[in-house]
Amino acid sequence: MFLRTGVLFIVLFVGLRIPMAVGRPADPPASESPGFREFMQRAQEYVKLQKAMPRLRTTKKREEIVERRRALAQKIRETRSNAQPGDIFTPAASDEFRRVIRSVFQGPAGRDVRRTIRQGAPVPDRHLIVNSDYPEHLPVTTVPPTLLLRLPQLPPELAYRIIGHDFVLQDIQARVIVDFIPGAIP
Amino acid sequence: MRRRTFLLAAFLNRYALSLRAQDVILPGKPGSVRFAAIGDMGTGEAAQYQIAQRMLQFHQQFPFTFVIALGDNIYGGKSPAELQKKFEIPYKPLLDEGVQFYAVLGNHDDSNERFYKFFNMNGQQYYSYKKGNVHFFALDSNYLDPKQLAWLEKELANAGTTDWKICYFHHPLYSSGAFHGSSIELRAVLEPLFLKYGVQVVFAGHEHVYERVKPQKGIYYFTEGASGELRAGNLKKTDLTAVGYDKDRSFLSVEISGDDLYFQTVSRTGVTVDSGTIRRPGAVQSDQP
Repeated sequence: MFLRTGVLFIVLFVGLRIPMAVGRPADPPASESPGFREFMQRAQEYVKLQKAMPRLRTTKKREEIVERRRALAQKIRETRSNAQPGDIFTPAASDEFRRVIRSVFQGPAGRDVRRTIRQGAPVPDRHLIVNSDYPEHLPVTTVPPTLLLRLPQLPPELAYRIIGHDFVLQDIQARVIVDFIPGAIP
Repeated sequence: MRRRTFLLAAFLNRYALSLRAQDVILPGKPGSVRFAAIGDMGTGEAAQYQIAQRMLQFHQQFPFTFVIALGDNIYGGKSPAELQKKFEIPYKPLLDEGVQFYAVLGNHDDSNERFYKFFNMNGQQYYSYKKGNVHFFALDSNYLDPKQLAWLEKELANAGTTDWKICYFHHPLYSSGAFHGSSIELRAVLEPLFLKYGVQVVFAGHEHVYERVKPQKGIYYFTEGASGELRAGNLKKTDLTAVGYDKDRSFLSVEISGDDLYFQTVSRTGVTVDSGTIRRPGAVQSDQP
């Protein structure tokens, strides 16, 4: 009996521990959540819109990169002139993001996740506006890989960012803030 | 008058000494892979220019063909003028010599730097390339998402087992730097892949010091984050530290010939602050002298 309990404990411990050790999610895959599905659908719609616009290309001319980036950002602002917070992080998606972020921060990897943010030059809280540029002088806070493993995988045009306590969706070519969830980072 | 002349002579002598080419102790073997490593350099300030000048002098004796840039390539403003000041002007003599730069993104970089031709990123946030018998894997440690990790695993697997595998990115997995320290979480996702696929050497920046860490699980880790920025006295040597230098700026130079990797770290004033040889783990010892 004692032996059986011991074996059960080891199986449970190993089963719970290994996924954290290699950073695998304990929850069902992100794509299965309705909130995340809705988010991904909106994100894909955004990317479709962005892909129809002139993109950046590799060049020796820094001016060209800067000008093309500005033109792309301007075009996005014009096309999404009515964009509001919550258009892509819909209420259902925001709830799901908040839940997952909270569970990562409160979970066994929470200490290391906070440490990653601290080490990666944390950015202080700012007043964010959808469609505005990610400020040029602001460093990029490392997004903890443990968190990225639990979130929907984005198309290459988009990235998650952390600015202060806000969780941000950024267009990395246009450097535009596409949407954000205020206060999602504990 | 005599005193003034003496002071001037002393100054010129010191200046000449400081400009004299430092001793290159790398072997310079025919056909070897030769490169330099710099990190956290893009300040546009005098110290960056002095390191660039030192690299040029080193290049005259040891013609390295490329430089790996470990992130924070351009601090602050990213306008064309700033880029010129923080990259094109200081490294112009090296660029004119045909030296190529292969950059990764640091936390102070704009991700659109990947479109800048001189950084050889071809629009990618992470990429790989091969020089001689060395595979290089350039990662974006700001954003290690599952897609990047899956890509890395595939690339490492495809690289086989007989060549050198070198990874580089911005945040150090092991560091005795007091400001940031080791990136534990990044280590948790990267180290298992490094071990599984036999990565031998890793370069990073972020901490504004130089440090060579004692081999960790058989892997050699270098931090070179003082090629422009510097946090003097910030290295709190720990059990991890093999050699560290936090008194001045520095750059690393590396030569790989067959199964041997030779390295030499040079300070802004031309002093060699670290050097050594790494034998590729798993390499068969040759009977040849």
